Amino acid sequence: MGRVTITPDAFTVVPYEVPVISDLLEEAAALIGFPTDVAIDLEVDEDLPHPLVYTTSDIVDGRAVLWMSGGNFESTHRNREFSVPFARRELTQVLLRANDRLADGFASAPPDSDLSLAERAAWDTWTHGRVGRLGIDVRPDRMRYDFRLQHGFTDAADSAFDRLWDAQTLSWDGLREICKETGAADRPISKVPTDLLRRK
Amino acid sequence: MKKMLPEAELARDERFVRSRIEDAFLDPRGARLADRYTGPAKMAADRPAAAERSRSLMHGIFVGEIQALEGAGRTCFDFDDDEAPFQLKLDMARQCWDESRHCEISIKLGEHMGSEIGEYGESTFLYAAACNPDPVLRLTGVNRALEGLAIDVFNSMKEFGESSSDPILTFCEDWMLADEVTHVKMGSDWLRRLTEKDPERRERALEFQRTVDKIFSLGGFRGESEENPIQLARRFRELAGFTDGEVDEIAEIARQAQAEAEAMSQAAQAAG
Repeated sequence: MGRVTITPDAFTVVPYEVPVISDLLEEAAALIGFPTDVAIDLEVDEDLPHPLVYTTSDIVDGRAVLWMSGGNFESTHRNREFSVPFARRELTQVLLRANDRLADGFASAPPDSDLSLAERAAWDTWTHGRVGRLGIDVRPDRMRYDFRLQHGFTDAADSAFDRLWDAQTLSWDGLREICKETGAADRPISKVPTDLLRRK
Repeated sequence: MKKMLPEAELARDERFVRSRIEDAFLDPRGARLADRYTGPAKMAADRPAAAERSRSLMHGIFVGEIQALEGAGRTCFDFDDDEAPFQLKLDMARQCWDESRHCEISIKLGEHMGSEIGEYGESTFLYAAACNPDPVLRLTGVNRALEGLAIDVFNSMKEFGESSSDPILTFCEDWMLADEVTHVKMGSDWLRRLTEKDPERRERALEFQRTVDKIFSLGGFRGESEENPIQLARRFRELAGFTDGEVDEIAEIARQAQAEAEAMSQAAQAAG
């Protein structure tokens, strides 16, 4: 048995193929230099369509535990159609964040379910910037809008976005500092759980 | 030039991809999702997948504006002057100007949200509702039902812009909303004038409007609770000339559409 485990072991609601996703995940792991001795568990929720996109990335008992909405892999043109470019981008970003969690600088980061929307947006910005530098197609304008929704439509937020996007290194404390700088850390916490889509 | 252009012949460049409505209806995930709480559907920045949902909706608004332009444009051309007075066509030509501007604004709003033309599929059932061969029914379907829906959509997006402190979205939606109010008023005025001596035709037109209103309230898309992504904009509909009774009727149609969708979903689940 390899180090990648995908759930479900066969898709029944959407015509996605486990070997294709598994290969893309291995490809992403090799691309980012993910440690070969860390097992990867990926769960895909095939009931969730686009645009209900969401991912989580945690380290549990030394294993990378990843969760994704099936909508993250779905073509934006055709219902239930698998998009290889989207899957490649999403698997790379989710694995990069797991890799961050293995580093000392993110050791104190709470699990994804406890991140605020602003913290998550900041982390995603840094991640997508790195995904782009790895040669995978990403959309900076899209991420800027996502970031602005949580950090404000302000010059301070745009400046923070640019720094996060270009950052070579970052720590959890540095990320929280940026959330304070934009004022997002002072916003009231939403009553809607950030990982609601994951809850069945 | 061909009159009564079918939706299959609408001109689009290679960026656009036509989606098939049957794909959405036959998607097995719909029934599976019905029993699952994925958060309040009303747009807000703290709702799950808020950014992607708003981008996708914005693209839907953009293609809707193209089709509204095509619908109003066809009305200028499809009918002889004895079927549709020249003054009505002049109003439709003016509306084309507004819709063209809305297309341009929507493109820029899409870019503002990080999206691009053709990024999402285009459903053309809005244009299909603008193909009625009777000019009075078409005008009622387009200018009272669809443009009424546009009031609800723009007001919902404006509120989303306000709640997320996005000044660009708020400002643009407010301007487009003002245009839609005049389009609905135009539809109401022409319906009254053209059916002044023909109450039966007026009733047929209003029945067609109810049908279109029901289609576009599909599955709880529009309503007055947190569970509806598009909120019925009572105040702006009032400004557009809808009576309280008419707005109540649309609210009831929306409730029925939601209840029917829930019943269908439960039946589909029960059938396995």
